[in-house]
Amino acid sequence: MKVGYLGRRLASAAVTIVLIAIINFILFRAMPGSPERVLLHGTPNVTPQILQQTRERWGLDKPVFPDQFVAYVGSTIRGDLGFSFLARGQTVSEVLAQRIWPTVILFGLGEMLAIVLGLALGAYSGWRRGGAVDYVGNGISLILYSTPYFLLGMAFLLLFATTLHWFPTFGMLQAGAQYPGLWERFLDFLGHLVLPLATVAFGLVGQYAIVMRSSIVETLSEDYVTTARAMGLRDGRVLRRHALPNALLPTVSLVAINLGYVVAGAITVEVVFNWPGLGTLAVEALTARDYPVLQGVFLLLGVSVVIANLIADLVYGALDPRVRT
Amino acid sequence: MRPTLRRRAIRALAACALALSVLLPGVGPAGAAGPLILRAGTDQDLQVLNPFNSVVVADFEVFTLNYDLLVNFGPDIEPVPGFAESWTQSADGLTWTFKIRPGMKWSDGQPATSEDARWTYQTILDGVASERGYLGEGYLEGYLTDSGVKTVKAPDPTTLTVTTEFATPLLLQAYVPILPKHIWSKYSLAQIGDPKVTGFFKNEPPIVGTGPYQVVEWKPGEFIRFARNKNYWGTQGAADEVIIQHFASGDTMVQALKTGEIDYVRGVLADQFNALKNEPNIATVAGIANGYTELSFNTGGKKKGYGGSTTALSDVAFRDALGYAIDNQKLVDTTLGGYGTPGSTIIPPFHTRWHVEPDKPRKFDIEEAKRRLDAAGYKLDANGKRLDKDNKVINLRLTWPDSEAENATNAQFIVEWFGQLGITVTAAVTEEGKLIDDVTGPPEGPADYDIYMWGWVGDPDPTSLLKFFQTSEIGSSSDSYYSNPHYDDLFKQQRAESDPAKRKTILAEMQNLVYDEAPYHILYYDAELHAYRTDKFAGWTNQPTQGGTPLFGYGSRGYTLLTDAAAVPSAPPSAAASSDTGSASGAPGASAPASTTPGSNASNSSLPLILGSIALVIIVAVGLVVMRGRRRTVEEE
Amino acid sequence: MTAASIQGMAPRGTRWIGRGALIRRLLRRPEGLIGLSILVVFVFLAAIPNLIVGPLQTAVTATGGRLTPPSAVHLFGTDELGRDVLNQTVHGARISLAIGLLATLVTVAIGAVVGIVAGFIGGWLDAILMRITDFFLVLPTFVLALILTPIIRELVGSATTEVFGIRMTLIVIVIVIGITSWSSTARIIRSQTLSLRERAFVDRARSIGAGSGHIMRRHILPNVINLIVANAVLTFAGAVLTETTLSFVGLGDPFQPSWGQLLEAARASGAPGLGAWWYFVPPGVCIVLVVLAFTLVGSALDDLLNPKRQGRR
Repeated sequence: MKVGYLGRRLASAAVTIVLIAIINFILFRAMPGSPERVLLHGTPNVTPQILQQTRERWGLDKPVFPDQFVAYVGSTIRGDLGFSFLARGQTVSEVLAQRIWPTVILFGLGEMLAIVLGLALGAYSGWRRGGAVDYVGNGISLILYSTPYFLLGMAFLLLFATTLHWFPTFGMLQAGAQYPGLWERFLDFLGHLVLPLATVAFGLVGQYAIVMRSSIVETLSEDYVTTARAMGLRDGRVLRRHALPNALLPTVSLVAINLGYVVAGAITVEVVFNWPGLGTLAVEALTARDYPVLQGVFLLLGVSVVIANLIADLVYGALDPRVRT
Repeated sequence: MRPTLRRRAIRALAACALALSVLLPGVGPAGAAGPLILRAGTDQDLQVLNPFNSVVVADFEVFTLNYDLLVNFGPDIEPVPGFAESWTQSADGLTWTFKIRPGMKWSDGQPATSEDARWTYQTILDGVASERGYLGEGYLEGYLTDSGVKTVKAPDPTTLTVTTEFATPLLLQAYVPILPKHIWSKYSLAQIGDPKVTGFFKNEPPIVGTGPYQVVEWKPGEFIRFARNKNYWGTQGAADEVIIQHFASGDTMVQALKTGEIDYVRGVLADQFNALKNEPNIATVAGIANGYTELSFNTGGKKKGYGGSTTALSDVAFRDALGYAIDNQKLVDTTLGGYGTPGSTIIPPFHTRWHVEPDKPRKFDIEEAKRRLDAAGYKLDANGKRLDKDNKVINLRLTWPDSEAENATNAQFIVEWFGQLGITVTAAVTEEGKLIDDVTGPPEGPADYDIYMWGWVGDPDPTSLLKFFQTSEIGSSSDSYYSNPHYDDLFKQQRAESDPAKRKTILAEMQNLVYDEAPYHILYYDAELHAYRTDKFAGWTNQPTQGGTPLFGYGSRGYTLLTDAAAVPSAPPSAAASSDTGSASGAPGASAPASTTPGSNASNSSLPLILGSIALVIIVAVGLVVMRGRRRTVEEE
Repeated sequence: MTAASIQGMAPRGTRWIGRGALIRRLLRRPEGLIGLSILVVFVFLAAIPNLIVGPLQTAVTATGGRLTPPSAVHLFGTDELGRDVLNQTVHGARISLAIGLLATLVTVAIGAVVGIVAGFIGGWLDAILMRITDFFLVLPTFVLALILTPIIRELVGSATTEVFGIRMTLIVIVIVIGITSWSSTARIIRSQTLSLRERAFVDRARSIGAGSGHIMRRHILPNVINLIVANAVLTFAGAVLTETTLSFVGLGDPFQPSWGQLLEAARASGAPGLGAWWYFVPPGVCIVLVVLAFTLVGSALDDLLNPKRQGRR
């Protein structure tokens, strides 16, 4: 891969991250309600002196630009995202670190599962176009795609957890349970993971199936495929060697584009299943007016999506020689 | 290709189904043997373990389990021995002598003496004397300053002497946990109170205290786990461990109660509450909250510095008339689903010793409201709209914070009722942060609203609910900007009055004064709807005995009085059925562990799972067979 | 949302099809037929809800008991305040579709303008606009929406004026969706504009001295309009989904409940746990149907207007 391409992509990603950080700052300052009053809400005996002191403590008494802005940029670069309003005594970084892994696991696995299932489903129906599987698969994909994630999640919860008692109703692990060994802990975790994972995977699978299907359909019309088959190559091999790799390109870019949108689903699915990840954190922070945490979530997610897009671009570049201009 | 692919697909699917059916039955918590764990659920998240930095109810529940107060709260929130065994007040009322329980040990084995109590109180006093005027969030200071605490001394390990500026009984209601000096004194004042200082003391688990249970594990956003304090001086509760779990959604919490995954829930909705009454092995409790929801008026109106839209808001007669157009009972029935009490005075009925009903109560009567408005000089114009004394049409802006969503329902009613009086009300929710700013009074804030709804939560002593009506609180905690010098006098008087009968007289006068002058219309006193399982623990005791709840009250008695439901029943339950709509299934122990034993989901999950997997495999196989019958070539369009 | 991005992945040409012919061909396809019929039903409900079920029931005018199951009197049962769920759902159609429509207009307007200008003018303006577009594509738009909504609510003030019968609190949602969704439209329109730019009629227009603005308006725009329409339809679907999700986390308006708001109210009142399926199934099904319908129509339109896919099916 050309260095120029790599360099350009990296520079572009860096600029975007900086822009995100700046927007973050502006948004936080634009939030309604003076932060010092939000901080002290619920505290009795608030006098004007206490308000003033709070302002000083949090650096809110200095002019927004340049003092506060410079301080913000400086501390963000150092990785200091400030202190949480709600979880007093914890920095935003600590709060985020506690909640990030559950989200990564849920969505990493969910996305992978959706891709595998979606590609398989799409490939099968694309190959056998016009068959019943095609129509049914297409129909189901469309319906799943049209359903908001949380609705799917609520339905699963209602059916499989509350009514059938097959799975637990909330959380990631049984709270405070003492497991005899790692295996039992892992099993409990698996049990809690099934429903939210199914929700995420089913919510995402439709798009990948549709994309895969139309890619396969287009690829199949290409001359070289007809030639390969005429030459007697077995279908499975044709599929694997020719149709699939070409269909991967649009899938990769779809994954990257998706990432931003998946976040919306993340938040709602986590809320429905009480999954202790960034999604529930975002909603809690919003409800409790914990602006530093909300700001931190935004920054974290934004940077992650930028990096994911960067990786996707690089992968795309590696896969498709046409792109590296 | 097709046969091979299909066969491979079937094989893969079958393998998956088989794997699942083998693995998943193992899912579920470890078996029923092991420590007896009490699991309580709440929708409020625990925020911090350092008592100086906390303001949230969930946090305080943790402290009352982990630590003792100097004086604990008894069955009716009356003072009972805590860290101190007994106490006496000097003749002039200015000196208190507390006898600290001898032979007490902290959970780590160190001796607990009066020095710990002295150190705790002194640290708070040092915070008050410091430049900032308070430590951490400033929540604990009030308990000492309201009682006028001057000095604290520990002449010997079992004696604590406290002197106060004025005689007041409030010292006995101080909600201040006694902290172990040997752990905390290593940190400077700043390190205790300010999270931004390096070396800030977070007080992470395992937490050392003298309470019945100690925090041993905390997963923020998920749960906090307590283990029994072997050195506890009081009655040991039946639970070996206590886990307080956080739920993002109340619905999930209730479902978890039904499946037995948790044993207690705080904050159930009215309809869920009704449904739970019919569940076997579940008891419900409707307690009266120590607080209320109110409709507040901007009594500053259009005066200089205030942002009200009409002068009518400053007129007592106007506010009083409007009070006849609010049907509190209807609001309780609709918004709260019938669970709650119609509002009246500013000290909730929760405070059985201090609450009084108003001497001149208002009844819901639209016609009466209209008559009073007419009599007060608010005429109707040609379009049927009310005019204020400046001959302007009265348009009231009604708002509430987005964090109190149920007020949307109240708003619909207020719009309707006031509309019948000829007053147009435009209702919209306001973002909480902005609302806090808007309702702050001059000179700190714009006082920009007409009427709005929010709520207050009280302390064991009613003083905190009386504070914000003082003139001195305008620009600070007063959101109605009420100002009455006589009220200010009465406030200081009641704070210093030790004789309960005399204090009640003063409080009665204050309640009536505010009721008549109506800076607030109290809409209702919320209900605390809790529910719990009766097949695991017994001995659930409400606090206060009338209209309280077993847990999340004041103190740890709810936990220490619990017994094992599986054990042989001994004494009948103590006042378990005292709540007005509490269900009758409070009978302890008499029931053997019910069929829905908590935590045994594992045993009944494997069979349906195996059946489900087999069904899945069959469906897939059938589908593929059907496919085989419809051979199509790929080239067809 | 993402269907629109599927649309934009490979540059496509466009064919000029008259509107009447377009609709007829649309109807001939099964998904076009299904989609349009569903839409017609819902538009009908949204246009005249008062005639069908009477005025929107409030807590004050509620007629039934709390959370009662469907009966002859209340076809879809009642909610926790006793309001008729059928009544709420039909009015919800008006609100959800109105918000979707307004949001789509905003999104497509911004996206089309940015796309045409960037694609046609090119050069540094294009580079800057595309930078901004890519930036918005990458932002976690949902969290952005969460953060933006209170800010815009404060800007707009506590105004209770209504636009198309929608309260300002919901117009805020419209604005927020518009701000966060325009970028994929811009991308698609831009690539279309790029290929149009090289066509003969543009050169001819230029040679007789037509200015850029004139060319963009008179020549480019009519040729991308089909694409814009197809994209708008898919954007509508995305807007409805986004609004639903935003309402679900509490940003809706209980005085004007959209379907999303009804779902949130159902969840908040504990309906799923109580088995009160009639409260959330109707709005849920409506959302799925409407989004499905728009997606079907949108993808059918896309098929029709894309010469590469002609004659395939």
